Amino acid sequence: MEHIAGIASFAIRLAEPFLALIVIIMAFSSLRGGRRDEHALIVLENEKDNITFPVLYWENSIGRSRSSDIRLSDPTVSRDHAVLLRRNDGWFVTDTGSKSGVYVNGERTDGRHQVAVGDIITCGTTSLVLRRASDTGAAEPRHERKIFPQGIILSFVTLYIALLVLQAVINMGNTDALIPGIVFIVVIWLYYVISRAAFKRLNFELESLAMLLSGTGIILAASHDTRQAYMQLGATVLGLFIYSFMLWFIEIPDRVMKWHIAISVLTLLLLASTLVIGKSVNGAKNWIIIGPLSVQPSEFAKIAYIFVGASTLDVLQTKKSLAAFIFVSAASVGCLVLMSDFGTAVIFFVTFLIIAFMRSGDIKTVVLAITAAVLGVLTMLSVKPYIAERFAAWGHVWDYADVAGGYQQVRSLIYSASGGLFGVGLSKGYLQYVFASENDLVFCLMCEELGCIVALLCAVVIGGLMLYARAVTTRSRSTFYSIAACSAGGLLVFQAALNIFGVTDILPLTGVTLPFVSYGGTSMAACWGILAFIKSADERTYARHKPKHKKPKAKLKRDEEYQEDYVEI
Amino acid sequence: MRKTRFRSFPVLMITLAFFVGLVYFMINLVIHSSEWASMPYNGHLSESDTLEMTGTITDRNGVILAKTENGERIYNEDEDIRRACLHVVGDNSVNISTAIQTLYRSELSGYNFILGLGSPDFMKTSSDIRLTIDSEVQKAAYKAMGNYKGAVIVYNYKTGEIICMVSTPTYDPENIPEDIDTNSDYEGAYINRTISASYPPGSTFKLITASAALEKDENNEHREYDCIGYTEIGGKTVNCYSVSGHVDMKDALMNSCNAYFAELTVDIGKDSMQKQAEKMGFNSSWRFDGIETVKSSYDVSKADENSLAWSGIGQYTVLESPINMAIRSSAIANGGNSVTPKLIMNIDTLFGGSLKQSDNSPSKTMMSAETADKIKDMMDYTVENYYGKSYFSNYLDVCAKTGTAEISDDGISHAWVTGFTKDEDCPLAFSVIVEKGESGYQVAIPIAGTVLDAAAESLGAA
Repeated sequence: MEHIAGIASFAIRLAEPFLALIVIIMAFSSLRGGRRDEHALIVLENEKDNITFPVLYWENSIGRSRSSDIRLSDPTVSRDHAVLLRRNDGWFVTDTGSKSGVYVNGERTDGRHQVAVGDIITCGTTSLVLRRASDTGAAEPRHERKIFPQGIILSFVTLYIALLVLQAVINMGNTDALIPGIVFIVVIWLYYVISRAAFKRLNFELESLAMLLSGTGIILAASHDTRQAYMQLGATVLGLFIYSFMLWFIEIPDRVMKWHIAISVLTLLLLASTLVIGKSVNGAKNWIIIGPLSVQPSEFAKIAYIFVGASTLDVLQTKKSLAAFIFVSAASVGCLVLMSDFGTAVIFFVTFLIIAFMRSGDIKTVVLAITAAVLGVLTMLSVKPYIAERFAAWGHVWDYADVAGGYQQVRSLIYSASGGLFGVGLSKGYLQYVFASENDLVFCLMCEELGCIVALLCAVVIGGLMLYARAVTTRSRSTFYSIAACSAGGLLVFQAALNIFGVTDILPLTGVTLPFVSYGGTSMAACWGILAFIKSADERTYARHKPKHKKPKAKLKRDEEYQEDYVEI
Repeated sequence: MRKTRFRSFPVLMITLAFFVGLVYFMINLVIHSSEWASMPYNGHLSESDTLEMTGTITDRNGVILAKTENGERIYNEDEDIRRACLHVVGDNSVNISTAIQTLYRSELSGYNFILGLGSPDFMKTSSDIRLTIDSEVQKAAYKAMGNYKGAVIVYNYKTGEIICMVSTPTYDPENIPEDIDTNSDYEGAYINRTISASYPPGSTFKLITASAALEKDENNEHREYDCIGYTEIGGKTVNCYSVSGHVDMKDALMNSCNAYFAELTVDIGKDSMQKQAEKMGFNSSWRFDGIETVKSSYDVSKADENSLAWSGIGQYTVLESPINMAIRSSAIANGGNSVTPKLIMNIDTLFGGSLKQSDNSPSKTMMSAETADKIKDMMDYTVENYYGKSYFSNYLDVCAKTGTAEISDDGISHAWVTGFTKDEDCPLAFSVIVEKGESGYQVAIPIAGTVLDAAAESLGAA
């Protein structure tokens, strides 16, 4: 009997990496396949010489500058002259502070002005006629979107989780992991069914990937401490609510702009309140304890901060004013440093750099910010030299094998190596007995118990989210979504890097969580919130569906139900 | 929106850096995993009941020294062999840090990169290790040591194979005494004294002083001196055991004349002495098969003239490990070049074991071939005319030098002997330390002789 259990557990360990890989390949190829081709639906035709400019994006800048989407070499056109926007109810043109103004059919426009096929948009001395691409012959044959059936991706996630649970049950000889596992699988499918039915959502690639990571974390927790598994499960459910709320909230960028100041204040309040009433846990004063709950407001502040950074009233980020955002950023990083939460402070700083550069394109701001940060760090080290001691073991942890500073990293490396490619099995590891194994050291805990392939695949998912966020920058419905998605992805990747490389002694150990996987309720819930930004950049998220009568019972193999061409012009 | 895409370029760089970091970690893991996994902090190897070591350890002739049967680790059936091989093989714990079962725990447990330590029970992935030691010679050495504490090391100075490595006090790994941590008889029982302990080398150091003198000026060989039983250096006396009278270097070495070598030391000076000691292995450790030895130490940078003189006869603060002494004897036997020892003949494993020889110490040129030959002749002369060849060994032609090193003012001394055989078919270098043995000649030589004879019998040179 014992023999059979051993073989079963081993077989499951061999199977897990393949299942995880299948989920990842399916999800990412579905994301790729579901991406819109960059082909023109409408074109702008120069009246004078009949040269046509394809209009490829949801927001297209018109101007003289080299980086304009529609570049006019006309000295009377400003560098950033106007923007041609696609919205659900048609196409609009907006003057972005041009000198000579924008005219539609000879009338000067002020603010956003709807345009239709045949309208003439005049910038400087250039007049452009809006035409359907199909009318001009410039339209290329359209590729069909190829996506994987979403239910199958989720089924593989379910199988992966189910096998993890089975392995935990075999290895532990009890059924502690069974209930959290089953509840999690129910949560997956409930979310799927509700999203489809109530919100008409058809794509679950990003959710599948996040479920893969969350599920790994939950079952890992379940095989060491059932209480943690339930906490983590609760946090995932809370995270899904936050995720859904966020997707609703950011659907209308104007709504976000309206709340812009309130969210800025909220960001600072979250951090400042922690500074005042926060409790210090393990050296960082970043916890607020309310009754039985302990939360890390800095995790939620990350979400609010991306809102603040990405939302701006400027159309297409043509204005370079970052003053308000720089103030919020400096105050946030300051609060975090005062809390001694250096890891999160660095994450905020890097997110700031990403947003600042994407909004302004201004290398000077970035260089200045980095200089300021370096000076800040040097000043802090000269005032409080003991802070450097916290990182004294970095780079030579083996000399600190039995003392604070290197103890955790040394165990992490030893047990990572002990796990091999397929791990020693859930609950069979020894890293679980080292302090903070389930959050700071979780990457190596995965290496030990699930094997380094699964651990690496989890890291690859996070990197993949970022690559996806970047791949859709020109396909999202607004630059607001593009910037939010890139900064959200950048934040997740950078945090993952601090976590993974901190514990493996490539970077100093700062004690941040591995997104979605680490134990920590606030972190888990906040990660789902951050994922919403990436999801919002996927234009299918807010797609309106064609009237049903056209293809009444078409199977959803290709998501041709999307409004692809369904733009009222 | 093209602009936005262009400005997302730095984010792409962060992501690429992230992937590069992951690859870097993986490369590190591939390169170091075996080393990391075999660290003594690894709970899988030091605390686990389920992951027993399953590899077998044998001596050079295939005699089983340790194996696992029905989930239990068992050792050789002869208690004397178990005790004699304890420090080489190790016990079930990791108490003996240089033992094979400690250093090669992960290989013996079946560690491999693919499955880590997670190989299922039904799959044998563990390595078997064949050592270079000879269990019968081990046993002879252990018996010869009697109740003395000390160490014996004998190794082949052509191939490096360690034939005998015994440290006492020892204990039976199958019946670990309960009072091991309190009973003074077992003091230092966890230490392999051949490689992890160092003692004042006493008169055996005169070989180094002699080579320093010859390396500096070959005419020092003919330096003559009238010994009156003592000499005054730096205002203090250096005593001899006897009055040697008119001696040259050869006779001074044979008579172990302290006055001669004390004067010689001062004459050739601090720098030459320091340089020669370091050439002969002092102030650095030896590495072989993953074992790192203790450093022997020689430092006269702060010594006054009298202390310098004492250092030249192996006193002052000079400390030397038995293995270093044997290695420097190998250099004298080998025309000046040392031979790094080895303890593992081979590892037999499913995945191709790592011998951990990548950072083995290289051979060192300790002296010129001319100097080596002269010292060799002097040691030969010493045994021939003083100790007696047959007193040493029934079978082998031994060259040697004894030492009696004072360790306290009340005259308690450790007994040493080191040397090598001249036999082509049985080229052995050795050293023996007997703690509180009082006389190298009376106590250390008989032990060395017994072990060398056992080795000769075992290697077919008898």
